[in-house]
Formats: sequence, structure tokens, C-alpha cells
Amino acid sequence: MMNRRNFLGLGLGVAAAAMVPANLAAVDFRKEKPKAWSATKVDEAVKELYGAAATESADVKLKAPDIAENGAVVPISVETKLDAESVAIFQDANPEATVAVFTVPEGGIVDYSLRLKMQKTGNVSAVVKTRDGKLYSSAKLVKVTKGGCGG
Amino acid sequence: MGKTRIKAKEKNGIVTVKAMAKHEMLSGVEAKKAGKEINFITHLKAEAGGKVVFEVSMSQFLSKDPYISFDYAGKKGDQITISWVDLKGNTQSDTDTVK
Repeated sequence: MMNRRNFLGLGLGVAAAAMVPANLAAVDFRKEKPKAWSATKVDEAVKELYGAAATESADVKLKAPDIAENGAVVPISVETKLDAESVAIFQDANPEATVAVFTVPEGGIVDYSLRLKMQKTGNVSAVVKTRDGKLYSSAKLVKVTKGGCGG
Repeated sequence: MGKTRIKAKEKNGIVTVKAMAKHEMLSGVEAKKAGKEINFITHLKAEAGGKVVFEVSMSQFLSKDPYISFDYAGKKGDQITISWVDLKGNTQSDTDTVK
């Protein structure tokens, strides 16, 4: 399905990609894709960010705890051997879906860890965009026993 | 806000960097509770040998004093600089030597 909104987003993405030289060092995704950060649903956020939906893949290795006792500190890590250009982390436990977007430098190693906050139990997902423009994802349910957004 | 703690160690040509930035990372709800304004690190990058080796755009959903770790192909003695900017435009930059 291609509605007007998605179509426009896609067009913008292509235009932005055409303008940015491939080896540009710093990409602030908050400035480039402001809408991706206010999206409340993971699917929407992925579309705003990358212009399409991702396919589940075992090549995206996402590690997250089964149960997080403290939602204020949920350690996760993402690893892939795919030739990644960008990696993004999402969750559906907080008001907005997008957590972080990594820009992978040329020849970079994707083995990232970070700690995020989760208000309640939810799915954490990682999306990898390869240099040939394909999108792969992986998701994991994390049970949160004590919410971490001041809740 | 304060100095970013950096630990960088090389093994077989791969440098593992562990860093902890000092920032409250206040989301909307938390800021309201604390009676402060919403503020969090929006972009963080690491540079070594004149090249960006790591970068991430972030949201308010990273934990307080965000911890991150990553790998890059480098060597002992590299100077690694980690810098960030937050929503209010504050910046912080710290350098450490790879061990």
C-alpha cells in the first residue's frame, strides 16, 4: 500500500540521499528525519526513517534481557555481519518509538551496546539498513517489572 | 553534565570502546517531575585518526548517563575523541588514548 504520506516520505528520502555525499562524516538523524523521532508506532518510525518496512532476519543479532527489573536501565546490544550503512533501535513501551540511530562508517564494525529506558513491558527492535538499501530487522520482548520513565 | 568517561582497549587490531557520557537525559515525563526542562543528548560521535569511527543520533529514551560501547579497526596509542551535543546546544568533548 502506498498512501500519499508514505509516498512523500519516500521521495524526501531519495532526495536527501542524492544530496548527501556517501562519505559525509556526521549525520544527525534528528535534523535529517525529524518526523521519525515523533512517530509513536515502530512501523511508522521505520517508514519515516528509511522509507520502507523491514524484513525479519536472523542476520540481525539483537540481545536484550527477558526480564528487566529496572526499566530505567535496560541493557541491549545489536550485532550484524551485514554490510550495514545505518542501524536503528526502536521500542513500543514509551510514548515515541525511536531510541537511537547509528550511522555506520565505511568498513565499520556493527557491535553496539547501549542502555535504554522503558516505561513498561514491550518489544525492543533493531533495524539494519545495508549499503545496497535493504532493510532487515529483529525484535525481542522485554518484560519490565519496574517502569523507567518516572512511572 | 560533565566529562565523558572513556575506556578504549585494542586487541588484534580491533579497538573496543566503552564510554559513559554524563547527562540527565530528561524525557518529557521526567523533566516535568523534576521541574526542569526536557533535555537530552541528541548526537554523539567518536573520532580517531581524523576519521569518524562511530556516531549515533539519540532520543530521550537512553538511560541517564548514557553508556555505549562499540568496536572499530584501530591500534594502541590512537587518540580517541568522543563529543556530544544536547537539545539545548550544550557540547562536551573528551579525549583518551587507546590502551
